[in-house]
Amino acid sequence: MIHESFTCILYPEFCFLIRAHSCKFVAKYVYKIRNRKETVIATHPAPSKIMNLEEAVSIVRDGDKVALGGALSLREPMAIIREIIRQDKRDLHLIGNAHGIDVDMLCGAGCVGAAEVTYVGFEFDFGIALNYRKVCESGKVKVRENNCVTLINQLRAAAFGLPFVAQSGFRGTDVLKLHPEFKEIESPFNGEKVVLAPPLKPDVALIHAQYADTLGNVKIEEPLTSDIILARASEKVIVSAEKVVSPEEMRSLKPNIHYFEVTVVAETPYGAHPTNCYPNYAYDREHMAEYVNATEKGLEKFKKEYLDKYVYDVTQEEYVRLIGGEGKLKKLVGWKSSMTAWREIFSVGEKGR
Amino acid sequence: MNDISNCTIDELFIKLLASTIDDGEIIFYGGSSPLAMIAVLLAKKTHAPCMVHIGGNPGGLDPKPPFLPPTTHDWTMIQECLGVLPIDYVFDLGSRGDIDRMFLSGAQIDMYGNTNVTAIGGLEKMKVKLPGGGGGAKLSCDVKNLVIWTTRHRARESSRGKVFTIVPNVDFITAVGHRTPNGSRRELGLSGNGPEWVITNLGVFDFERENRAMRLRFLYPDTTVDDVMANTGFKPAVHSDLRVVELPVQDEVEFIRQFDSLEIRKKEFPEEELERKFSL
Repeated sequence: MIHESFTCILYPEFCFLIRAHSCKFVAKYVYKIRNRKETVIATHPAPSKIMNLEEAVSIVRDGDKVALGGALSLREPMAIIREIIRQDKRDLHLIGNAHGIDVDMLCGAGCVGAAEVTYVGFEFDFGIALNYRKVCESGKVKVRENNCVTLINQLRAAAFGLPFVAQSGFRGTDVLKLHPEFKEIESPFNGEKVVLAPPLKPDVALIHAQYADTLGNVKIEEPLTSDIILARASEKVIVSAEKVVSPEEMRSLKPNIHYFEVTVVAETPYGAHPTNCYPNYAYDREHMAEYVNATEKGLEKFKKEYLDKYVYDVTQEEYVRLIGGEGKLKKLVGWKSSMTAWREIFSVGEKGR
Repeated sequence: MNDISNCTIDELFIKLLASTIDDGEIIFYGGSSPLAMIAVLLAKKTHAPCMVHIGGNPGGLDPKPPFLPPTTHDWTMIQECLGVLPIDYVFDLGSRGDIDRMFLSGAQIDMYGNTNVTAIGGLEKMKVKLPGGGGGAKLSCDVKNLVIWTTRHRARESSRGKVFTIVPNVDFITAVGHRTPNGSRRELGLSGNGPEWVITNLGVFDFERENRAMRLRFLYPDTTVDDVMANTGFKPAVHSDLRVVELPVQDEVEFIRQFDSLEIRKKEFPEEELERKFSL
């Protein structure tokens, strides 16, 4: 199992850097010897990919191209996002389709250098994502807005091992101006003008799932959004899962992201909150309203009123308690008890309260 | 709420969006589109039972949602569907020209139906960063017919004068209309037909056959040509057979109220618009 080409560089002071040719195929163990403040990396023939959230997120480097799983209010990797903020990662280049609180929170915490995302907002419910808006307008974050179709095609080019993707009939939109790397050529087959886009290979994909096993197999429930494509396109894949099961149990669940694609797994109940992770729990609209209200008061107040309260120095276990404890969780989990209960979850939480 | 002798602007607006759909079409809409979501279900229930409904972001095929959720990406929107279509499959349907109709909105809409949801002021002089266009930039090239909507046609007063939603030129072309500074759709080699309708809170527009510019086709019972002209950043043509839109029937209004019991539809309208009522 030990891959010949695996090499690692150790920084004995505090940090580690993994460089592996086809690193996804190498089983990795990271042991943190805390009192020596150093990290030892070794390959192991019986690989468990389980780490705690802090260790899992430590493989994200400043400046990485980070692909976001989930979408809008669905299964966004929020616990991973909060840990990225705690570890104060910088200059991240975000890649994603339609997103909301994940991108906005990272922007508000100063972690983002560029955003290659097709939509960032809270739809008609809460409107414009204000942190994202501010950092784009001030120039702190480079706007590399793409469109979903091209973004997915570029990720597929990476996943399929293609040198580029060709798109016909794609002209006239100014979104093309945000991507000078795209090239227009005449098709050698029929002379038609086509736009070539390079493969998009994120350094790391962040995915939240309902189930994972110790080997790194992952089962996500539909809608899958772009998560499976992201896992195939990205160099490394960090998965947080509601529940970690044994590899034997996973066989009956029929995983849809396979272990050799996945780098690390952290068991993280309520790891998508406040976005939804059905069938486990519904979207917490009330919490989202609290978030949006905090963003309306400016970046400094947002940090004090939201990040201090829910992110900085707050473990995931504490977070689950802070969001309303058992009463709130019972409500979000209880969406399936009746149509009235489900609708009731969405009838609370208004902007400006 | 249950006064069925009247309907409000949001309910009438949904009826207008629904009436653009022909039976048998493959229909798609993106996120942040509650009015389109309701309209598609209304059309399916009334005049377009054979329509193929691809439900927005989750991609549920012909779903039967129990109620309209406040966000697109919710399991309500895949209930009793015939399968959840993978996101790449939905976009491939668009790229190969098999989506018949898509609903798009714009913070700015120009006379040729180009829309801007990327940035007011464009990128160089960005005044407001808008959320972005999702798949609109490419899908607007490919999808056969586009329906554009805005609930904010009325011009706003600002320190620099009137600010329009319907403008001669958008600051940034996110989704493509009939003509851009680089040429017409034909010159650009786009396969879709472009925008068919622009539905606003003041009227309904189609596009002139020759120059493909917006033309006023319908008014509301409570709007006039002068209202439209005063709130539009250019002088659109007026159809020789200008009419008033048809109101929904009571069953349709009841369906809308029952399905959208959380009244998400009203969030898309400025407060003052919601005062507008029409007796059925």
